[in-house]
Amino acid sequence: MTDRPTEALIDVLSADAAPVKRLAAPLTRALATLAGLVLFGLVAILALPNADPLAMRGAGGEMQVGIELASALLTGALAVIAAFHVAVPGRWRGWLVVPLPTLALWLGMSGLGCWRDLARSGPSGWELGHSMDCLVFIVSASLVLGVPVAWRLSRAAPIDPLPVAALAGLGIAALSAFLLQFFHPFAVTFLDLAVHVVAVLIVMALASLLRRPILRPA
Amino acid sequence: MTKVGGDAREASWGDLLAAAQGGDGTAYRRFLIAATPFLRALARRRVYADDAVEDVVQEVLLTVHRVRHTYEPGRPVEPWLAAIVSRRSIDALRKSSRVSAREVHNAAAYETFADPAANTIEATESAKVLARLMGELPPRQKEALELTKLKELSLDEASAASGQSVSSLKVNVHRAIKRLRVEIGRDQSK
Repeated sequence: MTDRPTEALIDVLSADAAPVKRLAAPLTRALATLAGLVLFGLVAILALPNADPLAMRGAGGEMQVGIELASALLTGALAVIAAFHVAVPGRWRGWLVVPLPTLALWLGMSGLGCWRDLARSGPSGWELGHSMDCLVFIVSASLVLGVPVAWRLSRAAPIDPLPVAALAGLGIAALSAFLLQFFHPFAVTFLDLAVHVVAVLIVMALASLLRRPILRPA
Repeated sequence: MTKVGGDAREASWGDLLAAAQGGDGTAYRRFLIAATPFLRALARRRVYADDAVEDVVQEVLLTVHRVRHTYEPGRPVEPWLAAIVSRRSIDALRKSSRVSAREVHNAAAYETFADPAANTIEATESAKVLARLMGELPPRQKEALELTKLKELSLDEASAASGQSVSSLKVNVHRAIKRLRVEIGRDQSK
């Protein structure tokens, strides 16, 4: 039998019933966090040089690029929203897979773009462009974007931190990849796409590995 | 349980937990007491041993205390509690499987060492050997060892009883133990 009777534990806990600051609804907290990230992104785009490639490509009417960007943005936003929901006990577990369709669309459209570049430019479509810079950008931007996200998620002291960390990692990596497009001066090749995927996986892995010190689970 | 009864309970538990969030210790206590059988029933579906169930219930109560700020008034309490029970049950099962993976049941150890009756013969043999070896010690070493280790006298008391100085006692105890170690090692290697 246990050392500490359950009834005695209830007495101890109820004697320690200090008022607590109730958490707002997950969607409210997620949207507030995303609003902050959008503000940060806008400042970065306006403040940093060479933030025009996306505008040029958008002006060129590249539908595929538009869908690719929108799906990256949606993946990021949905994954962050999902992380906030999963962090609270008893919420709908279907949130775990909500970002997957847009993630598939994002990767699919990126792959399609690579395929077109390959058909247009021949073997040079397999070259590794400035992808290592992109990897560094995505990981670095994710670290910056991840701070407010992690801080707000940790308020919930998630009881199952792994899916929360993985979703948050996916979210901030996708948002960083979206932000990257504003500084992306070249069409992506298959290898570039692979490096982008690796960057997203690195961010998700880092978030998952550091979930306990960052999210301070209950 | 009828739907009406379930709704009434939900409302009641939700109200109590919301009051607890505001610092109402009495409402919190009522909530925890009322919810414990429900927690126990959920835990029992996942872990089977009674003591393990009670461990899970206590872990759940501690977790409820830690995350009570995440409950949103107006929402059902049961799924919130069930998610916590599920998590803590999984933690308990993982811990249990980790322990069982590292520790093995040694029936021989139980029979030979844990059961006092099983040790009687060996203990008697060991005592005989020790008594013989102590008898072979020089008288002053034997006296020092008996007074300080077997009768558990302090060094001052042993000094008064034996007439040996404290430093002499220390030296003789040290030499006696050293000699016994050597003799016992030799005896076991035979």
